[in-house]
Amino acid sequence: MAALLELRKVSKSFGGLDVISRLDLHLEEGEIVSVIGPNGAGKTTLFNLVTGIYAPDGGDILFDGKSIVGMEPHRIAKLGIARTFQTLRLFLNMTVKENVMAATYGNTKARVWQSALRTPFARREERQVDALAEEKLSFFGKRLIGYRMQQPAYSLSYANRRRLEIARATGASPRVLLLDEPAAGMNPVETHEITELIARLRDRGGYTILVIEHDMHVVEGISDRVVALDHGEKIAEGSFEHVATDARVVEAYLGAKAVREGEAAE
Amino acid sequence: MPRIGTDEWVEQQELRTEYYTGLTAPARRAFDRVGPGPRFLTFLAICALFPFLTDSPFLIRVGVNVLLFALLALGLNIVVGWAGLLDLGYVAFYGFGAYMYAWVSSGQFDIHLPTELAIPLVVTASALLGLLLGLPSWRLVGDYLAITTLFFAQIFVELALNLDRLQLPWMDEPLDLTGGPNGIPGIDRMDILGIELPGVRDYFFLLLIVFALVVIGLYYVNESRTGRGWRASREDPLAAELMTTPVNRLKLLAFAMGAAIAGLSGSIFAAVQTGVFPQNFEVVLLIMIYAALILGGAGSISGAILGAIIVASVPEILRTPENARFLFYAAAIAVLVATVRPWQRLAVVVAAVVAFGAVLYQLVALAWPVGVEGELTGGRFSGLLESWMVIPAENQELIGNIAFVLLVASVLTLTLLRGDARLMLLVPTLYLASFVWENRLIAQPSVTRQLLFGAILVAMMTRRPHGLLGTPRVENPV
Amino acid sequence: MDFFVQQLVNGVTLGSVYALIALGYSMVYGILKLLNFAHGEVYMMGAFIGYFVLTGLGGASSPMLPVAPVLILMFLAAMLGAGLLGVVIERFAYRPLRDAPRIAPLISAIGVSFFLQASALLLFSAQFRTYNTPQLIPFSTGLEVGPLRISLVRMLVIGSSIFLMIALTLLVNRTRLGKAMRAVSYDREAAAMMGIDVDRVIVATFFIGSVLAGAAGVMVGLVFERVFHFMGFIAGLKGFTAAVIGGIGNIPGAMLGGLLIGLAEAFSSSYISSTFQNLIVFGILITVMLVRPSGLLGSPVLKKV
Repeated sequence: MAALLELRKVSKSFGGLDVISRLDLHLEEGEIVSVIGPNGAGKTTLFNLVTGIYAPDGGDILFDGKSIVGMEPHRIAKLGIARTFQTLRLFLNMTVKENVMAATYGNTKARVWQSALRTPFARREERQVDALAEEKLSFFGKRLIGYRMQQPAYSLSYANRRRLEIARATGASPRVLLLDEPAAGMNPVETHEITELIARLRDRGGYTILVIEHDMHVVEGISDRVVALDHGEKIAEGSFEHVATDARVVEAYLGAKAVREGEAAE
Repeated sequence: MPRIGTDEWVEQQELRTEYYTGLTAPARRAFDRVGPGPRFLTFLAICALFPFLTDSPFLIRVGVNVLLFALLALGLNIVVGWAGLLDLGYVAFYGFGAYMYAWVSSGQFDIHLPTELAIPLVVTASALLGLLLGLPSWRLVGDYLAITTLFFAQIFVELALNLDRLQLPWMDEPLDLTGGPNGIPGIDRMDILGIELPGVRDYFFLLLIVFALVVIGLYYVNESRTGRGWRASREDPLAAELMTTPVNRLKLLAFAMGAAIAGLSGSIFAAVQTGVFPQNFEVVLLIMIYAALILGGAGSISGAILGAIIVASVPEILRTPENARFLFYAAAIAVLVATVRPWQRLAVVVAAVVAFGAVLYQLVALAWPVGVEGELTGGRFSGLLESWMVIPAENQELIGNIAFVLLVASVLTLTLLRGDARLMLLVPTLYLASFVWENRLIAQPSVTRQLLFGAILVAMMTRRPHGLLGTPRVENPV
Repeated sequence: MDFFVQQLVNGVTLGSVYALIALGYSMVYGILKLLNFAHGEVYMMGAFIGYFVLTGLGGASSPMLPVAPVLILMFLAAMLGAGLLGVVIERFAYRPLRDAPRIAPLISAIGVSFFLQASALLLFSAQFRTYNTPQLIPFSTGLEVGPLRISLVRMLVIGSSIFLMIALTLLVNRTRLGKAMRAVSYDREAAAMMGIDVDRVIVATFFIGSVLAGAAGVMVGLVFERVFHFMGFIAGLKGFTAAVIGGIGNIPGAMLGGLLIGLAEAFSSSYISSTFQNLIVFGILITVMLVRPSGLLGSPVLKKV
């Protein structure tokens, strides 16, 4: 079966620094794959390449078999790839519900004159968008619905803002979700909730998910497969156990000395 | 200012219902209960009564100006308030609409299109021009776009002034496109579907209808996907783009719509004035529209309307010294009431200013009698000021100028002080303000206007960027 | 040939003035990422201050002092006055908006610009003032080398511009303040954390930029003689154009840009048409912005996403 998302020999450098080198990566439909690696390994750049913020210097990126290199980001998002950001980038002055509704732009068609005149088509579409937003928000339990939906996004707590960021991404009705450190800054209880949430997103929502994470508990809990990057190259791939104990991965995170000590301890 | 991460919404909800005490409480609560629709209809009804309350064509013309201004502010609101783009060339669209209407409805080229054709033509052409000018926004961010559009506005005026002698190689005689500094006079009166519009009052009602339609249309657009798209683009263009919003296209759409509304206003303006001249579209007007939008609250339809009403009426009130004086002191008192609390303090300050003036007057009368022999510019209330305001009979201009510089310095210093020191400096500053007003500004309405609008822009942005009716914004900590 | 050389001289003279104005824009933009709209008005005030000093010293036809001290006093007063004005503007119109979104200080800047124009109108009235330079420095004094005829005034302007630009370059590259300025322009927070007093550096930047604008004002007064309240607006637009063409935030770029705009204006107004010279400059601006937005000497800025 062809992979839903595929990167073939993708390279990207910035001013002489090779941030990603000849990277191969694939994502099958329905999978949850985690990308791990020390800071600077190129993980967020990977997301930026897939979503079209940067164009790769070499290689190809295929979505559903078709190349998406060179496409404008909003086109790629419309095709079905949505993401969250490491540092939250919510529409803070818009309400919670509006944040999710905003993500439906590419999948709606009402033109300006139709909206201005409130034609039946426009009204119907608005109702659909409204219902879709409520549906996506209710995925997160009771936290983002009720009176909260009319609140400006800036008034939410940190954890809720992270959840809203994910909710907004689902508002684009994507097939693939790219989650960039969804558990960053969360306490153990919240982290556990996020882990369950990600599993639920795949099981109940049907999304294929690519996650960047540092918290190994989350990675362990959700991943079908783990990919480890260092200095822009893939250094290990496989199940969590396989990758976590891989010598190159340990070295990348903890240094060569730790590898030797690990081997000595065995 | 709102803070990120603090759930104030619930608290504020209670605060809001508790807030209303006193005589106006029932009215305010009723106002809150009623939705935007009935509120707007009430407002329209009041406006529609206006031409019947007065016989003076001058006043109705003022009403026409206010409506034109409101339209301009609403159009600019799309670009600046909703899409967050700084378009400093906006006046050029207004001018373009006016000139284009003049081209197709006057003796300039002897084209006299029926109004039903002329107006849609002008609106479409303006929208296209807006698209064209918006193209740089594809690549340029904030500041660059601002200067480019400002330059464009300047070029527009220059072209209007100079395209009356355009010598094209294949023509025998130079082409007169714009009438140069004398503009294009003799524009046809509008005639819509058989209804002639000969008088100012007719244009008032036309404008009121146009205004109502534009407001309703814009309100719905703001609540729709387009409005959300604009707001998302303003919040975070990159995130919006990644959430399926084609940011660049929306920017162009904003430019085009703003330009279309400006062009529409321009065409009606041309018909009302029956002529167009380059002086109508100078940078001064641009500053006024911006002042209106910033004062009222960028991003808010009602803010744009309120700002427009205030900014468009002020120059008219400043025309006659009587009304101007009334406006000055009323505004001064309003500002004081809004900033000095509680009312006891306010009373002390006012008393102190009166006393200060009276004492100063007597001292000057003794030490330098010429200093108080000047004449107050006439009109009502001048009697009240006679023993209070120092008006020099000689060197009035020079002394007034020095006082002006001192006044600016004093106001700036006031922003640096706190507490009692501030109140103490406030007293002489207020007198100084009156002094500058009575001696220099009251007789120069156009300069006063310009000073005022420039000051409004700075003061609003540094103190209350969301204007009178806008909502305070939180900024992304990028 | 004579005509061409004459226009060349005009262009270089004009260019030196634009370069000085452009430098102010570039420096402030480099440090604050802010377009100081009011910069043109600072230049205008400099021109007026120079005029009033000249008049105060007896005027061009009967100065109380010999020519050289008169000129020096004019320049010093204008530069100091302009510098002070720039500092005040920064303190009250821009500093409160340091962390606000970009649109806020821009609108504030427009407000300041307009307020200053109106103030000039109030204080000096709409009447054009003239420096009357030929009375002070006769046109006949100057240099003649083959086809090149350059008057003393123009030599003075070009010379002092070069002097000021060299002084500025030395300041930025060789002094501690210059280093601090460069640091703040790269990363304001990091510079603060390294112990640099960011506020003082910003004030210094505004001061220096405004000083240059004040000097430019006097120069324009000397060469073109007319001083009026609206002169800052157009000069500001062109100064900004020059800064952008050279690469905004880039000091050599501002100098290059100024020169190019000056030459473009001199040649286009003499060979093509003087009515549309602003249109041509505008055209150059648009072209550069669309084709090479980072300017001739600027480098594209990478942003971390």
